[in-house]
Amino acid sequence: MTNPYVPNPPSVRAEMLKELGLEDVEKLFSDIPPECRFAGLSFPPKSEPELLRFFGEVLSKNRPVLCFMGGGVWPHHSPPHIRHLTGLPGFRTSYTPYQPELNQGVLQALFEYQSLVAELVGLEVVNASMYDWATAVGEAALMCFRLTRARKFLVPEFMGPERYSTLLNYARGPGMEVVRIAQHPRTGQLDLGALEAELEGAAGVYLENPSFLGFLETQVEEISSLVHRTGALLVVGVNPISLGLLRPPGDYGADLVVGEGQPLGLPMAFGGLSLGIFACRKELVRQMPGRLIGMTRDAEGRRAFCMVLQTREQHIRRERATSNICTNETLCAIAAAIYLSTLGSRGLRRVAELCASNARYLMRGMESLGLKVLFDAPHFNEFAVSCPLPAGELNRRLLEFGIVGGRPLKGDFPRLGESLLFCTTEAHSKEDLDRLLGALGECVR
Amino acid sequence: MQIPEDLYYTQEHEWVRMEGRLARVGITDFAQKKLGEVVYLELPEVGKRVRQLSEPKTPDMELGVVESIKAVSVIYSPLSGTVREVNRELASKPELVNSDPYGRGWICVLEPENLEAELRNLLAPPSYAELLRKLER
Repeated sequence: MTNPYVPNPPSVRAEMLKELGLEDVEKLFSDIPPECRFAGLSFPPKSEPELLRFFGEVLSKNRPVLCFMGGGVWPHHSPPHIRHLTGLPGFRTSYTPYQPELNQGVLQALFEYQSLVAELVGLEVVNASMYDWATAVGEAALMCFRLTRARKFLVPEFMGPERYSTLLNYARGPGMEVVRIAQHPRTGQLDLGALEAELEGAAGVYLENPSFLGFLETQVEEISSLVHRTGALLVVGVNPISLGLLRPPGDYGADLVVGEGQPLGLPMAFGGLSLGIFACRKELVRQMPGRLIGMTRDAEGRRAFCMVLQTREQHIRRERATSNICTNETLCAIAAAIYLSTLGSRGLRRVAELCASNARYLMRGMESLGLKVLFDAPHFNEFAVSCPLPAGELNRRLLEFGIVGGRPLKGDFPRLGESLLFCTTEAHSKEDLDRLLGALGECVR
Repeated sequence: MQIPEDLYYTQEHEWVRMEGRLARVGITDFAQKKLGEVVYLELPEVGKRVRQLSEPKTPDMELGVVESIKAVSVIYSPLSGTVREVNRELASKPELVNSDPYGRGWICVLEPENLEAELRNLLAPPSYAELLRKLER
């Protein structure tokens, strides 16, 4: 027998092909259209020192930039101790580390993650994570369908575009209809009349707070009581950092909370390293997707951690499982647990305060430059401004100042016209903010 | 293994007790032993219409799901008809399915639609005992 960790030698491969009645291993891939096949790298072989030099030269072309782009993944500070601790081999190299006999460390770290996030969002149960915010919204819609058997899911007009697109994919399976509810053009607040008119037959209503465009929804109590009057479920999507300042959604009646965990100490990494937060009320846990880690006692009465309620999952319930995704973002969830536990509640509040006050400083500064902030509402750490020149052109000019500008909005929301979604975080100093304002002043003059 | 004499059985280990024109349904002693400790049941809605179990199985033959600490199993309907009552006690005491499968661990009561014809498709106690002997072999 060959070693399971070493590729088969040619003699074994030949034997396998003979058994299969094939002349060539390529025959196994004949169903894949040629244009989808990888043609190989046109990269001459290099020695290790040559390779290191080559990549060093390529990387040296990078220049440091000051980033003000969020809109899905945000430029928060990732403290170095997170990278150090998540680099421990027991965390970093473990694959499906769920055997309680062997993996108490990982299981406990995930349990801590669940407990910290539960406290943050104000709900009893948090799973060990989904892929990202977008897949968490999709799973939330399916969960609302299973609980109510209704096929309509209501979302706000200015929902995050990638999340909306992912939600449509999820909704297709059970034939759910996704309906967008208008938001006020000046304040961004949800149109309660429009919401009420669509509530009949709705499985769930989804809110984003802060919204994709950064403003806060202030009518959460009214929305919650409207939604629950018809038996629909309230799903709230969050940036977890904002909960350092804002009320936990569980407090105002959210049945499910989803969100993006990347701000919790994970780098932007060209669009993620993402971490899908998924929480629900305890009574709904049987319909929850994803892995759950519980705390128990072992045979000798010692505290121990293990997976619980696995009967919801694919490997046991097969086609009746609550989700067909059995995997998660364990390492990212552990990073988030380390981040939250090292910041503590005061630290998190401080980070959230800096985000919000930086955003206010930038909004005022941009207004004094004659740029128009699009929504008149309280904001967290992002805000939309209209541009006096095409958004892409403005970003190109900002890049000349070493600044990555905002996310252009016109493509996803034509109604907003030439506009940018700017983001600021605790990682920006006052000098950074002034640098952006100074550069913008030059660009729009 | 208990196989009460006054019941009808299915290949999938459900039992039926005729009570006048209504049929009480549960899962057998064999089923509960195989499942182990029952921790949760998904029960049908009162008023749900179901068809008698046959091959190929379809969702309209399902009464619910019984979940133990190690497995999940569908409860199939032994008869066609309408669900008239479900055992609410199981929501807080699912273990009754283990401790008293033919008594307080009942699942639901059906109002059968085509009783006479369909009873012929069910197993009498000796046939069910024979099925279990085969399975245990």
